[in-house]
Amino acid sequence: MSNKFEALKHHAESSDSGSGEDELGSNITTDLGPVEYPPGEHRLEHPYCLWYSRRPAIGGRNLSMQGSQGYSQALRLVGQIGTVEQWWGIYCHMVRLSDLPPYTDLHLFKKGIQPMWEDPANSKGGKWVIRLRKGQSGRAWENLCMAMLGEQFMTGNEVCGVVVSIRYQEDLISVWNRTSSDQAATARIRDVLKRLLNLPVNSIMEYKTHNDSLKAWKTPLNSLKS
Amino acid sequence: MSASPMARHVESKAIPIKRVALLDPSDLPTDYSTTPGGTLYSTTPGGTKIVYEKAFLMNLRSSPIARTPPKFDIPQNLQKGTPNKSPTRQQHKQQTPKKKNQPKENNQFQDDEQFQLEM
Repeated sequence: MSNKFEALKHHAESSDSGSGEDELGSNITTDLGPVEYPPGEHRLEHPYCLWYSRRPAIGGRNLSMQGSQGYSQALRLVGQIGTVEQWWGIYCHMVRLSDLPPYTDLHLFKKGIQPMWEDPANSKGGKWVIRLRKGQSGRAWENLCMAMLGEQFMTGNEVCGVVVSIRYQEDLISVWNRTSSDQAATARIRDVLKRLLNLPVNSIMEYKTHNDSLKAWKTPLNSLKS
Repeated sequence: MSASPMARHVESKAIPIKRVALLDPSDLPTDYSTTPGGTLYSTTPGGTKIVYEKAFLMNLRSSPIARTPPKFDIPQNLQKGTPNKSPTRQQHKQQTPKKKNQPKENNQFQDDEQFQLEM
């Protein structure tokens, strides 16, 4: 399996850095050049990249393309954010979550970390996943992004990024962290999530290591789940 | 009129001021303009981080810079598809390379919805 992911990573990194979309028609751009910090804007602790992916619906023409390879090809780097103003600039010019079609994912990750299990920063990590009803995810996502950009998690450099996954019945929001074995960090992330997202009391939170997700994905039956 | 009966009989008095003549900047006390007990502003355990609270971020949301569209192209299906008055945005939209087979969605958004605060 490692060979497959090596190939995948190579594919993702081989696009021409900084020059926008490559000519092969692939949308993969992994570097947008240096982050800009215009004077007068409020600099963030870390620069971030916003990624977008859309998976073909289950039962579509090529099920195997939903795997890791298909994922990396569907993943598109939208833009990068170095300041609070740049964040609102992109956020306010994007459609609301409720207007995105199912199987769309938005990923806001620290620059340099790709939103993939295989990225070195993620390979030993895991994620908190919260399932939310359709009407609740928009605000939770906004609060979650603000919490991360504003460094409200207070877990050092543990948080890698956040994801919102639009599905049919409900939406998922997740927080990816670097070290799944760091129980203090994962507990703190959970507590901050509870406090800052105003989650409904009955919302379900689940921690999954990326390693387990990877195993589940390799089992054909489970791969049908989100 | 104040609702409190006590408030009607308050005498006004000047705040007592002590005047000290400073002839040289070195006459300033060493803790001039610092927080009593030491300055803690903007440090966090384990080092200094740039931390923003939600209220502060929300406040910046309506600033003119934050309302400027990003320099890069937001994919069309993620873009808030609205005709906007702002000339910079119009220019930006024209520069956006149009993808023929990307579904065009959500063009029904109106201006007033664009910057609505969700508090």
